[in-house]
Amino acid sequence: MNRRIALRHLALISGGLAFIPSCDFSSDDILTAYENLKITQSQKQLLGDISNVIIPAGEIKGALDIEVPDFILVMVNDCLNSEQQTLFSTGLAAFPGFAKQSGGGNFAKLNTKEKEALIVSGQNLEVDETEKGAENKAISYFLNTTKRLTIQGYMASEYIQSEVIPYSLIPGAYNGSVLISDIQKPRING
Amino acid sequence: MANLNIRNKQERTYEAIVIGSGISGSWAAKELCDLGVKTLMLERGRNVEHIKDYPTTNMLPYEFEHRGQITQAEKEANPIVSRCYAFREDAKHFFVKDAEHPYVQEKPFDWIRGYQVGGKSLLWARQVQRWSDFDFEGPARDGFAVDWPIRYKDIAPWYSHVEKFAGVSGNKDGLDVLPDGEFLPGYDLNIVEKHFQEQLKKNYGNDRHMISARCAHIHGNSEFYAEQGRAMCQNRNLCQRGCPFGGYFSSNSSTIPWALKTGNLTLRPDAVVHSIIYDEELGKATGVRIIDAHSKEMEEFFAPVIFLNAAALNSNLILLNSTSSRFPNGLGNDNGLLGKYVAFHNYRAGVSAQHEGHAEYTTSGGRPTSGYFPRFRNVYKQETDFLRGYAAGFSAGRNVRSNTDGIGMDLKNNLLNPDQYGPWYVGSHMMGETIPKESNYVALDPNLKDPYGMPQLKINVDYDDNDEKMVKDYLEQMTEMFEKAGFTNIRTRDDHRAPGLDIHEMGGVRMGKDPKTSLLNANHQLHAVPNVYVTDGASMTSTSTQNPSLTYMAFAARAAHHAVAESKK
Repeated sequence: MNRRIALRHLALISGGLAFIPSCDFSSDDILTAYENLKITQSQKQLLGDISNVIIPAGEIKGALDIEVPDFILVMVNDCLNSEQQTLFSTGLAAFPGFAKQSGGGNFAKLNTKEKEALIVSGQNLEVDETEKGAENKAISYFLNTTKRLTIQGYMASEYIQSEVIPYSLIPGAYNGSVLISDIQKPRING
Repeated sequence: MANLNIRNKQERTYEAIVIGSGISGSWAAKELCDLGVKTLMLERGRNVEHIKDYPTTNMLPYEFEHRGQITQAEKEANPIVSRCYAFREDAKHFFVKDAEHPYVQEKPFDWIRGYQVGGKSLLWARQVQRWSDFDFEGPARDGFAVDWPIRYKDIAPWYSHVEKFAGVSGNKDGLDVLPDGEFLPGYDLNIVEKHFQEQLKKNYGNDRHMISARCAHIHGNSEFYAEQGRAMCQNRNLCQRGCPFGGYFSSNSSTIPWALKTGNLTLRPDAVVHSIIYDEELGKATGVRIIDAHSKEMEEFFAPVIFLNAAALNSNLILLNSTSSRFPNGLGNDNGLLGKYVAFHNYRAGVSAQHEGHAEYTTSGGRPTSGYFPRFRNVYKQETDFLRGYAAGFSAGRNVRSNTDGIGMDLKNNLLNPDQYGPWYVGSHMMGETIPKESNYVALDPNLKDPYGMPQLKINVDYDDNDEKMVKDYLEQMTEMFEKAGFTNIRTRDDHRAPGLDIHEMGGVRMGKDPKTSLLNANHQLHAVPNVYVTDGASMTSTSTQNPSLTYMAFAARAAHHAVAESKK
């Protein structure tokens, strides 16, 4: 219960204002699509920002362009156990504070280099028996899980597997002795 | 009313009933129908029609919400089936969920089942190696179980019969432990697998072999299979979803549509078999009692010949539940051995390693099989401190290395432009013969019922000292063979999995020469009720090491022809 209340407060501070016109903002800021997670709209936005730092847009689309954050939340909601989900949610909730302390301000306002450095340092936080250590554990779990799922969601996306590195449902006859020097580009999809 | 009842009974009377639509049942039905026998096939699960009912078969990886993974909620609700390697997002609808058909594990046993038309023939690994007399003569030579009442010469023509129709790819390897068959062109081993093959020859002479595993895939003679509506295997390796090409053998793509085309087959899905009806006056079985899966109503069907092919343990369950005053302990169970001498294949151990050589090579495309290592232990004489031996799977491969270091543009560039290959990996897994014992048994639980009101099956099956010694020997020998082949970073594993996860459970209704010590005769008839044939895994007297499905197919075809010949006498 406490966690839920805390998250609602967080919602209020960070992004809840936008929801005031809907009146009942005691619950609607928590995204019901991910029923096992108490994730707010603003937290999802933060997750999107982080995934976009991990795989940024460029000539080829980035993680945020192809809705990888949705995939991450579906996977965390459906495929992790409750202990892992708690770690993930706790880490996500603690991340803005970590950004202020270690990165010197609001995550969204940092430049790309600063964001990258912050995420990498967060992935490798020291974990010990203290209260701080427990928070560090959650932050680093959250970031490592987010990176793993960003890579998975990005590479196994329709965009990548149809437009960038097309997936082949029928990979062709087997050749068990191919000279690598004869191959133009290593084949990773099918 | 009386007339109505008679007509009603006539409508539910056939010339043969086959219980089960999986690999062995569909072969019995196909042969019976080809021979003009009006056949009813009962299947406890839903209907699955070829292509139409393969919902995931052409789905792309990104179309799976969890990219293939089973969700945490599904895992928690289904601890048993979740341990099966093929229970994934793309094929989970073909597996029985734990709560659908509960059973009692007196000892840990992972009972993996597929209840639908086609059964597990949609899910099998499609490996089809023949038995030889080194297998059939095993129990007699080594003094366990009972002597098989048949030999290789009895079954060889039926192996040929089913291989031709099902489509089996393989090479004529000329090995006495693994007889050659009616093969379509074999699949190639890759360069590292061939290297291992050569190393075995160099280090062990003619004692140990590794071949391209024979598999039930169409790899040639496509015109012949076009008649079945099947086409060449496309190397997709998505077989567990059901193959829209019919590239591998399944009941759904091959034997069932073939049997339906004869006009002699009636397929009745959603029919949970309760028992086989025994008529005391006639002294034979007269029909089958089912529970409709939806209405839960009981219904009876009648025929002069009954084939029981419900899959090994369910065939035991049905016989145990078929009681009468003549057979109070289960149909045909005069000697009290029904349900006993259950065995399986020991799949606990594996060895993996790397190969530094052939660094300039890789593979391309796909293939539906890999290497197979036939049994070499105790073949010609007893030479170890354990009985029998093991076969093993073997494969080598190479992946493109995915560099996931760092974040940002560097990570993105690395992911999208992979330019490095990882080392060749090689891997092997054991397939050990287990010795059937009276203490490894299944029985009916006296109290617990399943959702249909049927008694739950109580399973009491475990490893023994012979299995432990065999695991140890496999790990030692494979490690030695890997070392001699120059493989590095060799890792062994014994995952101590429960029996059952091999999905090769066998026995309980074993064949034998003597009605005092076996349930079935040389023609798969119950000694005491000869118009009941059991031709699935339940009939196995011993397990040997080969993947057993091909042998069940041959058994079923052979027994179907026997039944028809008998009916004409």
